[in-house]
Amino acid sequence: MSEEESRQPPSRGARAQRTGRSSQLRAWGRHHRAMCRDSARRLIRHPLSSVLTMLAIAIALILPAGLWLTLDSARLLDAELDQSATLTAYLSKDIGEGEAGRITEALRAHEGVADARLITADEGMHEFQQSLGLEDALARLDTNPLPASVVLSPQDTAPERVRQLADTLEEVPGVDEMRLDLAWLERLRRLAELGQRLALALGALFGLGVLLIVGNTIRLAVESRRQEIEVVTLIGATHAFVRRPFLYSGAWYGLGGGLLAWGLLSLGGQWLASPVTALAESYGADFRMPTLDWLGSAVLLLSSILLSWLGAWMAVNRHLADIRPR
Amino acid sequence: MIAFEHVGKRYGGRFEALSNIDFRVRRGEMVFLTGHSGAGKSSLLRLLMRLERPSRGRVLVAGHDIDRLHVSQIPFYRRQIGVVFQDHQLLFDRSIYDNVALPLDIQGMEPREAARRVRAALDKVGLLHRENALPVELSGGEQQRVGIARAVVNKPSLLLADEPTGNLDPQLSADIMSLFEDFNRIGTTVMVASHDLALITGLRHRILRLREGRLVADEEAL
Repeated sequence: MSEEESRQPPSRGARAQRTGRSSQLRAWGRHHRAMCRDSARRLIRHPLSSVLTMLAIAIALILPAGLWLTLDSARLLDAELDQSATLTAYLSKDIGEGEAGRITEALRAHEGVADARLITADEGMHEFQQSLGLEDALARLDTNPLPASVVLSPQDTAPERVRQLADTLEEVPGVDEMRLDLAWLERLRRLAELGQRLALALGALFGLGVLLIVGNTIRLAVESRRQEIEVVTLIGATHAFVRRPFLYSGAWYGLGGGLLAWGLLSLGGQWLASPVTALAESYGADFRMPTLDWLGSAVLLLSSILLSWLGAWMAVNRHLADIRPR
Repeated sequence: MIAFEHVGKRYGGRFEALSNIDFRVRRGEMVFLTGHSGAGKSSLLRLLMRLERPSRGRVLVAGHDIDRLHVSQIPFYRRQIGVVFQDHQLLFDRSIYDNVALPLDIQGMEPREAARRVRAALDKVGLLHRENALPVELSGGEQQRVGIARAVVNKPSLLLADEPTGNLDPQLSADIMSLFEDFNRIGTTVMVASHDLALITGLRHRILRLREGRLVADEEAL
């Protein structure tokens, strides 16, 4: 066999190899197409078990993906809150309107302050009445109990810097008290961080789940085609050839599972959208139920396919290692 | 074509399936390998198929020590030998045609050329009219002929058969053997393992006798 090949003159051999390579490439493409079709057909032949496997993949993907989505929109909300992080300087009660204006200018000129807006005692009263709906009760008061205040936007919204700024501004003459509402903002941020880590951990855990689900399904498929694998290996199939149909099955499972997860996430999103929006509105927040954009959808589908493919790869390789010659 | 050089094969460190096997088979020769079951016929063939590796000695095929083949080269080595199994090892969910086409599929042969070869091989074993049948619709002898068609479709220069007539009656067995002789006549080196002494002694080819893992006789063709 190979003796005859080596006897050929080198130029002929080289040409044969070139045409051999392009026909090999065509054969490779042909086998890929055939296995892609064949593995899909095998899945369709057992619709119930295929769908169940895909559903298991989908469920494993939905939880981390859903959590991630929620956090993603929470991050948007967080950014909005960052911009609205303000300090309020309450001025001493005995300060007149003219002087209040001067103090506002002084505060605005202060290093670290982006903007300052004066709210006179009357304006404060007006806002207070409107927001609380207590016009009648407050109208009975003889004098305005509220001081004038200046709402300040810091240049740097990092919590520690805002606190430092508040401490310095408290020293400004005419400023009675500085108020900053940072505690809840920090709490929210910590919660978001916790949630993100949780989503990552869950993602890793459930990703492993997808690997195991597909790995087990493919292991059973390999088991049921054991004789076929042995025969084709005996007559010269490469490992890649043996693996190919199973890898395609894995990829199909992944695609199916990913699409199901995507569909269920969209459905669930729609189902939850109106109560979530209503709830957010009651807090005065403009929070929309998060939806998967095309990038998120692509990431979901690709990671589902990739994980399933990997699960199939591991299952087949384990089997191939078993039948290697001793 | 084949050379065994002081080959030994142990399983599990103790049981010695083959010991000090030493023989050569010339290109184009037809050889029977015989002995009781457990004498080491299958082990010898498994070494030739590179399903197992010798514990001692060397197995050379076409001048190459097949133990030194890299794992990735083994499939390409196996494509050069045709193998017929006792239990034919057909795939029962595929038609006769697809079974015979399998080696060509694996090699990635262009479908039209493959079809020509498959039909030629099926014609040779007399089963061209059954190409669309499933293996279960065929008799034992017919299934074995499909196995032979699959082994030769690739035009291998070496054809191995492990008890190809194991479950067949004498007439069918003789038919199968004459098929092997036909392939040998066109230049294929053929090695057939069989315990059916009555059958193979009548065929006047070289016979290698194994007993308890040793080569006890090497009878040249009369």
